[in-house]
Amino acid sequence: MNKIFKKPWFWILIAAAAVVIGGGLLLPAKPAPAETRLVGMSAPATGGYARASTQRPFLFPLDLGAHPDFQTEWWYYTGNLATADGHSFGYQLTFFRRALVPPPGRAARRSEWATDQVYFAHLTLTNVSNGTFGYHERFERGAAGLAGAVGEPLYQVWLDDWSVKQIDVSHYRLQAGADDIQISLEMVDRKGPVLEGIDGLSQKGPQPGNASYYVSQTRLDSQGSLQTGGQTFRVTGSSWMDHEFSTSALASDQVGWNWFALQLSDGSELMVYTIRKADGTIDSYSQGTLIYPDGKTRPLQKDDFEITVLSTWKSPHSGAVYPAEWTVAVPSEQLKIQVKPRLADQELRVSFTYWEGAVSVSGSRAGKEVTGVGYVELTGYAKSMQGQF
Amino acid sequence: MNGDQPVQFFPSGLWNVGWRYLLRHRWQSVLMVVGIALGVAVMVAIDLANASASRAFALSTETLTGKATYQIDGGPSGMSTQAYAELVRQKGDIPAAPVISEYFTSSQMGSRPMQILGIDPFSDAPFRGYVGVGTGLSLDQYSAFLAQPGALLVSRDLAERYQLGVGDPLTLEINGRQKQAFIAGLIEAADSLQRRSLEGTVLADIATAQELTDRLGQIDRVDLLIPDGETAAVERIQSLLPAGLRVEPVQARQGSVEQLTAAFQLNLTMLSLLALIVGLFLIYNTMTFSVVQRRGLFGTLRCLGVTRIEIFGMVVSEALIIGTIGSVLGMGLGVLMGRQTVGMVSQTMNDLYFTSTVQATGISIVSLLKGAVAGILATVITAGLPAWEAASVSPRAALSRSGLENKTRRIVVWMAAGGVGMIGLGLAVFSIPQTHLIFSFGGTAAVVVGFAMLAALATILLLRAAGPGLGWVFGLLGRMAPRNLVASLSRTSVAVAALMVAVAVTVGVTLMIDSFRYTVDIWLAQTLQGDIYITAPNFNQTRSTVNIDPQIIRAIQTWPEIGQADLLRTVLVETPQGQVQLSASDNQHLGAERLYLWAKDPPERIWAAMQAGGVLISEPLARRFGLLAPGSSLAIYTPQGLRQFSVEGVYYDYASSQGALFMEMQIYRQLWNDPGVTAIALRLPPGADPDLVTRQLEDGLKFDQKVIVRPNKALRADVMAVFDRTFAITAALRILATIVAFIGVLNTLLLLQLEKQREVGILRALGLTGGQLWKLTMLETGLMGLAAGLLAAPTGYALALILVYVINQRSFGWTLQLSIQPEAFIQALVIAIAAALLAGIYPATKMSRMAAAEAIRYE
Repeated sequence: MNKIFKKPWFWILIAAAAVVIGGGLLLPAKPAPAETRLVGMSAPATGGYARASTQRPFLFPLDLGAHPDFQTEWWYYTGNLATADGHSFGYQLTFFRRALVPPPGRAARRSEWATDQVYFAHLTLTNVSNGTFGYHERFERGAAGLAGAVGEPLYQVWLDDWSVKQIDVSHYRLQAGADDIQISLEMVDRKGPVLEGIDGLSQKGPQPGNASYYVSQTRLDSQGSLQTGGQTFRVTGSSWMDHEFSTSALASDQVGWNWFALQLSDGSELMVYTIRKADGTIDSYSQGTLIYPDGKTRPLQKDDFEITVLSTWKSPHSGAVYPAEWTVAVPSEQLKIQVKPRLADQELRVSFTYWEGAVSVSGSRAGKEVTGVGYVELTGYAKSMQGQF
Repeated sequence: MNGDQPVQFFPSGLWNVGWRYLLRHRWQSVLMVVGIALGVAVMVAIDLANASASRAFALSTETLTGKATYQIDGGPSGMSTQAYAELVRQKGDIPAAPVISEYFTSSQMGSRPMQILGIDPFSDAPFRGYVGVGTGLSLDQYSAFLAQPGALLVSRDLAERYQLGVGDPLTLEINGRQKQAFIAGLIEAADSLQRRSLEGTVLADIATAQELTDRLGQIDRVDLLIPDGETAAVERIQSLLPAGLRVEPVQARQGSVEQLTAAFQLNLTMLSLLALIVGLFLIYNTMTFSVVQRRGLFGTLRCLGVTRIEIFGMVVSEALIIGTIGSVLGMGLGVLMGRQTVGMVSQTMNDLYFTSTVQATGISIVSLLKGAVAGILATVITAGLPAWEAASVSPRAALSRSGLENKTRRIVVWMAAGGVGMIGLGLAVFSIPQTHLIFSFGGTAAVVVGFAMLAALATILLLRAAGPGLGWVFGLLGRMAPRNLVASLSRTSVAVAALMVAVAVTVGVTLMIDSFRYTVDIWLAQTLQGDIYITAPNFNQTRSTVNIDPQIIRAIQTWPEIGQADLLRTVLVETPQGQVQLSASDNQHLGAERLYLWAKDPPERIWAAMQAGGVLISEPLARRFGLLAPGSSLAIYTPQGLRQFSVEGVYYDYASSQGALFMEMQIYRQLWNDPGVTAIALRLPPGADPDLVTRQLEDGLKFDQKVIVRPNKALRADVMAVFDRTFAITAALRILATIVAFIGVLNTLLLLQLEKQREVGILRALGLTGGQLWKLTMLETGLMGLAAGLLAAPTGYALALILVYVINQRSFGWTLQLSIQPEAFIQALVIAIAAALLAGIYPATKMSRMAAAEAIRYE
């Protein structure tokens, strides 16, 4: 066998192998992280923002616009809609604002694109009839006309091509679309702005300033069109708007909240929320408001209402376990209703994971049967909401 | 070992015959290996340089364009914020991201050109994937990046290399202005490609980028992600744009740069192939020789029953061994040479085509393999001819030594006829007007090979003519030398042809470079009529598109010693056929300061025609867009929509192969609403000293923005420096081709003379002294050198004509004025004779010392 070393073709093979191996060694072989990462990005100081510590006068529509000196602000539009032939839908269009720098630290900038305000928004559509739920999230800078919220001369909030615009005193137009969801609604406010909490100051914790300013429009008669699945639906129904601004409203031991916005067939609305603590108990700062058919309101404290969870739903996507059916009772108002999601899976897995969905209501008030629709928001089940807002 | 196998395609014994032959003729083998190695090395070195330049371009643009499929170019004054916001409100789901990009340097980061990429972290994620609000980091972590002025993101590698960290301040020089910035975060690249791209790029929020580049209220372009073929989406986006803004496919944009650089790279590749071809001449020659030497052996083998195929296989396998060893060595040598060529080619690319911010490192394996495969294949194919000759000869004829020479002399005339045919073929190829460059190079090769085929006949005629004269000077030896050469024509003619081709390449390339330099010199004298030129600092040597601060312009216009200040605005604009460089000028003498291919009017009336809306276009542009004929017009997208401009004339221009056009300043400003100025030319009153005024301006112009003030002389010198840099690599290749040819000749002559040992022995025995033999050998090689040098003159001249009038014009659109320097021919003759004489020294010395008996005992 050692004769093989005398064969020229053997040496040619060796030379060729050497070329291939040598070539391979020349290639860089440095291990790298799997995806691009940004490091050293600093979070700002939190001090210096305005806080919701005392009652304030509200001016409308001015106060429907943005309050950039507060760290967090949102505009929540939710509603239940139906077609004449019985297709029913729920929708959510929420705009969030987050300030990145407290007012004292804000630099004067030359570019109109420069901003210390970030807007983001969520759009969902629940198709009750065929049991589907779709959602989208968008981010935008609060500058260069790309996103913002103004109260005057007429109120509008927008992010790219998603917007809610006031077109008359109590008349609004909502427009949003992405992918397979297009919503276009005209909304008329039947009750005027409702000040939640005590004259609009909604205390969320024991510390002064652990509170938000909170305004709602609890019954917005809505009509317009939906496009989904290649079909266009003429729809009517009712929407609800919440506008809240604050700076670190949650106390340090609070992890999330359950929020109910229910529109009842007797012309009244009920808003209640419970704040959950890390140890699983309900915080004493949970509260609500009952809005009578004539627009008068009654603030509710934690002891004024009872919420019982009847069943739970485990998200197959996030693994979070959410309560899925409740009894809500306000004994002093002889109100006892059952609240049921119109679709189990209405979980949004966006930059944070939460459940926000259309619900139906049935029960009784003062011995009379009531029905209704509404929206429920369940946060902090997948991950604590601390630091998210 | 294989003896028990009765049937075998290739008896192992024959391998050994070939292998042993190579080992025994060590010097011969070594020279062949060196010839191949050099040829492959040159090819590899050029290919590495080309690959590196292309890669640097790809990497530099990779970071910029990301995954974008379409772009909206904002044009000279950018796209307004309002127009962008309007687009975003209407566009629907199509991903779109605004971008600002600009070059800068920082002394804290090596003072090399880098780019600042201004992106919008809210919309950029689908495009580049570096920064995307809503993915990964919390909103608050974007606080410093978005809200603090001057915030930059740099790659971790870059930060480590320059010992920078988060929070460190950075001073940038952008468009001649000093700007303060700081590092707000580090990017850890996902892969090595991204790491390379980020070597030359820092990221900023688009607002920060606007502030750093002073482009408030505008964006450079919008990247779009529209799947291929969705023309409806493209049209919808187009319909949402203000007039003058166009949606263009990204590929078209990058493709146009690639097209331009492709011509340059192809020229280099072809030049590098020349070195290999010269090397192949050497292989052919040596293999032929080795076959001739062994005709007797082959005859004997055939008589013993070895088949033709086996003989053929044996010779080819020898070539395979030589080719492989030579190619492997060539790859190594090519990598070493590549260190030089990569720098040279990248520099030229930067000067002429694009600013690359990335130095592509690493060796392209493809380039190495290409070189190796070309080397081995070419060797084997080249050896095929002599191998076939060895195999086809009948055993009886093979044993007769004179067979080959008789055959060679018979075919000399036919060869010459074939040569004339090849030249005719080459010329026919050139007469086809618009073809791919490859055809032009094919035509060039045909002409050169044609001349090489003529070499044998020309050599015979030359030697016969020289015979009597030499006899008169050198006596017997002088008459013997030429006859000896004619007698061994099969070998001498190939050697002469090889040396001739190599020297002709030197002549042709030298003449071409001289002509080019001469042309550029005339052109500069005609074009640069100002006394002093002022521009903002920029990274492109042949054009500046950086705006000069209006304050500086006012200061210059009111400067006391200045006669006239001509303003120039150079921008890139879109046309239906692609991007072109537009220069708007207010110089009313412009018409007289250009040389024209043709012009509608006499020079003094051209300005009036331009004021009426006409344009002047450069020769490369006219050729690229097919606007050579008088009476044509050029369509350009303006902010007022697509406009037609009548072409008033086509001028010679060597600054850009992309093409350029001149427009009157007022017309440009009306249409583009862009008051920018990128260059100022000053004309001083008679008697003023440009150097003095330059110094005064340099001292006096103390503004935010730094400007470059150059007197005419200095600018001209700078342009010529760029020119010389561009041709540095061509000159280097010319030298390499000469070295390969030199080795070829050395080898050939060595073999030729060694083969004649027997004959030499007889001559010694007949009484020739050692000194006389030495003289005879040197005479023979000197004659061959002379023949090659003389034949190289017409071949080189023809090659120069082709390079100047065909290759340059078709590659770059430039018409050059032919400038013939007699030095080139004299130099060529000297090189040829010197190479030949040098090659003769060893065999001459060896033979003159050989004893007669020993020489005859050989064999």
